[in-house]
Amino acid sequence: MQKEESSSIHNESTNDSIPSGANSVWADVSPLLSASCSDLHEGELIHGDNFNLFAAMSALEIMDPKMDSGMVSAFYSIDEAIESGFAPVPISSDRTVNVESIIDIMDHLLVCEATWHMGHSLAQTVFSCIYVLRPERTSSQALLHSYCRVIRATCRAVVSVVSDARTNEEDDLLTMTYGLPFNGDEDAKGLSLLNAVEETICRQLRACKATSSKRRLLEELEPLQTNPHLEESFCKALLCRIRFRKHFLHTLNCMRRPQGRGFELARKHIASCISELDYVLESAEFLRLDLVENGENEIEERTTASGRHPIGFDSTLNKRLSAPTPPRAIKLLSWKKALGYYVKLLHNLDEICGFSLEPDLDFVLQFVIQFQKSRPDLVSRAHLQLLLVQDGKLFGRDTFLAICARGFGLDVTKDHALQKNEYILQLSQLMINLLKILCANAPWQRRKLGKILNDWSIFRVQMGITVGQAMQQDTSRTPKNGDKSLFILNHIYGWLEEQISWVALRFLMLGFDLELYSPSEYCMVYWYMYIILWKLAEKARFRVLIIVNTEERKAKKNKDYHRDMAREDRISLWVLLLQCQISLSQGLTVMLSALRNQGMCLKSQGPFNTESEKFAQHFELLQKASLPEYDAYESFTESTSHTRLDYLPVYEYFRDAQKIAKDIKVGFANDPDKLAEVRALEQVAEHNIIAVNLISQDCSLKVSFEFTHHPYFASAVVRRS
Amino acid sequence: MEDKEKIDEAEIEYTSYAGEHHLPLIMSLVDQELSEPYSIFTYRYFVYLWPQLCFLAFHKGRCVGTVVCKMGEHRQTYRGYIAMLVVIKPYRGRGIATELVTRSIKVMMESGCEEVTLEAEVSNKGALALYGRLGFIRAKRLHHYYLNGMDAFRLKLLFPKPRVPQIAPQDQTQQKQEIFTG
Repeated sequence: MQKEESSSIHNESTNDSIPSGANSVWADVSPLLSASCSDLHEGELIHGDNFNLFAAMSALEIMDPKMDSGMVSAFYSIDEAIESGFAPVPISSDRTVNVESIIDIMDHLLVCEATWHMGHSLAQTVFSCIYVLRPERTSSQALLHSYCRVIRATCRAVVSVVSDARTNEEDDLLTMTYGLPFNGDEDAKGLSLLNAVEETICRQLRACKATSSKRRLLEELEPLQTNPHLEESFCKALLCRIRFRKHFLHTLNCMRRPQGRGFELARKHIASCISELDYVLESAEFLRLDLVENGENEIEERTTASGRHPIGFDSTLNKRLSAPTPPRAIKLLSWKKALGYYVKLLHNLDEICGFSLEPDLDFVLQFVIQFQKSRPDLVSRAHLQLLLVQDGKLFGRDTFLAICARGFGLDVTKDHALQKNEYILQLSQLMINLLKILCANAPWQRRKLGKILNDWSIFRVQMGITVGQAMQQDTSRTPKNGDKSLFILNHIYGWLEEQISWVALRFLMLGFDLELYSPSEYCMVYWYMYIILWKLAEKARFRVLIIVNTEERKAKKNKDYHRDMAREDRISLWVLLLQCQISLSQGLTVMLSALRNQGMCLKSQGPFNTESEKFAQHFELLQKASLPEYDAYESFTESTSHTRLDYLPVYEYFRDAQKIAKDIKVGFANDPDKLAEVRALEQVAEHNIIAVNLISQDCSLKVSFEFTHHPYFASAVVRRS
Repeated sequence: MEDKEKIDEAEIEYTSYAGEHHLPLIMSLVDQELSEPYSIFTYRYFVYLWPQLCFLAFHKGRCVGTVVCKMGEHRQTYRGYIAMLVVIKPYRGRGIATELVTRSIKVMMESGCEEVTLEAEVSNKGALALYGRLGFIRAKRLHHYYLNGMDAFRLKLLFPKPRVPQIAPQDQTQQKQEIFTG
């Protein structure tokens, strides 16, 4: 019904080689089309409730190469491609050429796999290879056959981890397999076959390196290929590629068993993968030899080490499988970039395996934030998410009640009634959602964090009413005599505000990562960060008091009790770090508003709206969650409309930040990540102190802001105009 | 390529979409300049439902730029949407795009839109600067938004709320923070 134009389809072109499916048959649509055409005049459009923008955008124009996925194909079917000799078995009767070609296929498959991980469809990447699509054809060719089987098993493992994690809201292509042939049982045997192949090539390598006397003993072993001068290099080039594949699949499998020795083993496999990748990279020098002679120089963009085009790949083969959207034009990564991708992925996986699985929320949140700094890709993020949340528990082991209670030094393992408390159940769900969101890609993460702020704040209000009423009824007021569960619920209620502020701060900071703020908006962003940081520090300070109190009671009760000073110290230090960030936010707000008030920075004003509308848009979600509880814009304008440049040196904010940073560096001596953070804050403070002095003396200077020292706290750059 | 110096800006004529004869002009401009493939349905969807939001810029009879938009209800707000904005290369940097889009936004505002949105590629510095000057903020980043794998920004322009007479509550005690005024 949506076709409005006469398309020149002629029935005779229907090709018999395209088979109709089990529940479908080919039908001639020409009469229907011409009937519709005679009803519609040029330019007329059918208006229907179900013909919206999405329908209009999804409509395809037949015979337009950008949209008609069936139009440009070398072959109508895989069978046709095979019959035409497109993917011969063996690839060549010349054994040297055969080995060379297999190495090219291995390299190109690595590129395809990485491109798939980066968000393109499996059908158009890994499964564009006929040898992978039809592994049964190569069963006589042990090397190619086992390698393709392992590739398939690896794809299966990756699909499984990503679909289990469900982080794939926006990277949804990764798990779409469109009925591609995954034969689990057969593919699982690939690894043992590949081991046998590796063993044979090892012996071939030993044979070619052996002295002539020993060689006689090994004579019955056929060499890998026919050119004895190249034997050693070919053996090595194959071995590193095979071993990488093996260890990579082992890594993925071991990582699914985090408890026990799973992670320990995974780390060994990861280390092997990385060193094999080095050998793979080295092998390029040998493999590229004949091309260098030919003067080939576009090698950097190629998808194989040799620079040759691989045999047996056609990305148009599965076009009809890659629905529901028109196929994306795929630009494969280069071979070099694909290797880079794997190195990054492996380092990210290693980071996950090295995590101590400490049942402490502060630790977990800090770890996830640190992990996300390198912008890890989907596969490693999916692994992290599966590790953090399993069966509704942290690491599949600790309940979220226990984790939250530990945050203020309480043990709740014996409190079974509390475990079933309605609020605790809801809290667990909120925590699970939060952790999952923190594992998502940064754009998605920010959007979801903005949305859950409202859930958290509604929950806090509801819990506050219930706990408040219960506390009034329970007159004893001390945990010794009163209801211990209520006492814990009350603490959790207090802690919620800290957690909500933490989420809000993360939301604001991610805006810098995603480049959502323009320089004319920095002032309002720092003002808001100041408000949230202040709240967060206040609540964290309160938590330190609770911990001190709890620990003191425990110590009084039991003389031998070993007080957990480490937790107190850690949180106190964190509060000081927040204090340092508060001072920087204040300093930047004052500096930016003074510059704006005196016309040294552009005002945030367009022809259609004012700063007020921008403020409302940027912080709408925070304000919905009552962060803060008063009219934020009014407060912002009041506190920034009178700042002036000549007052700037009077404000000591940057000096305060510098001083705190100096003081707390010692405390973070054993934490390199935090130490780097403090150093960066200190540099921002130092830099801006100098800038403030210059600006206040000379109003003709040009000022801009850059993130040279810290990703979220800007450093002023002053230039003569 | 035409020499930038030779184009007299006063010679640029702007016109509202006036019928089927404008459609091929719009399609060829967009096809040339934007990365996404659009079917003829997409164009007709926009220009037939909202011809008043579509404008074209001509120089000596040649179409050099166009803007295509829509408006409608979106989650309880009445929202304008800028679908396509194109000015061909030799004519860029002369305010033609700003003029085109400003005309559309004015019609949207007069028609009661509360906000205007669009998507722009994160690397499209020119478009981002243009919309930034008009008061758009970058509300979201959209991961792998385009078929070519690029991210996009969702840009948003919020119009000021129409003024309604306010009755100020006398006893309103609001928490106010006097922090930076010294």
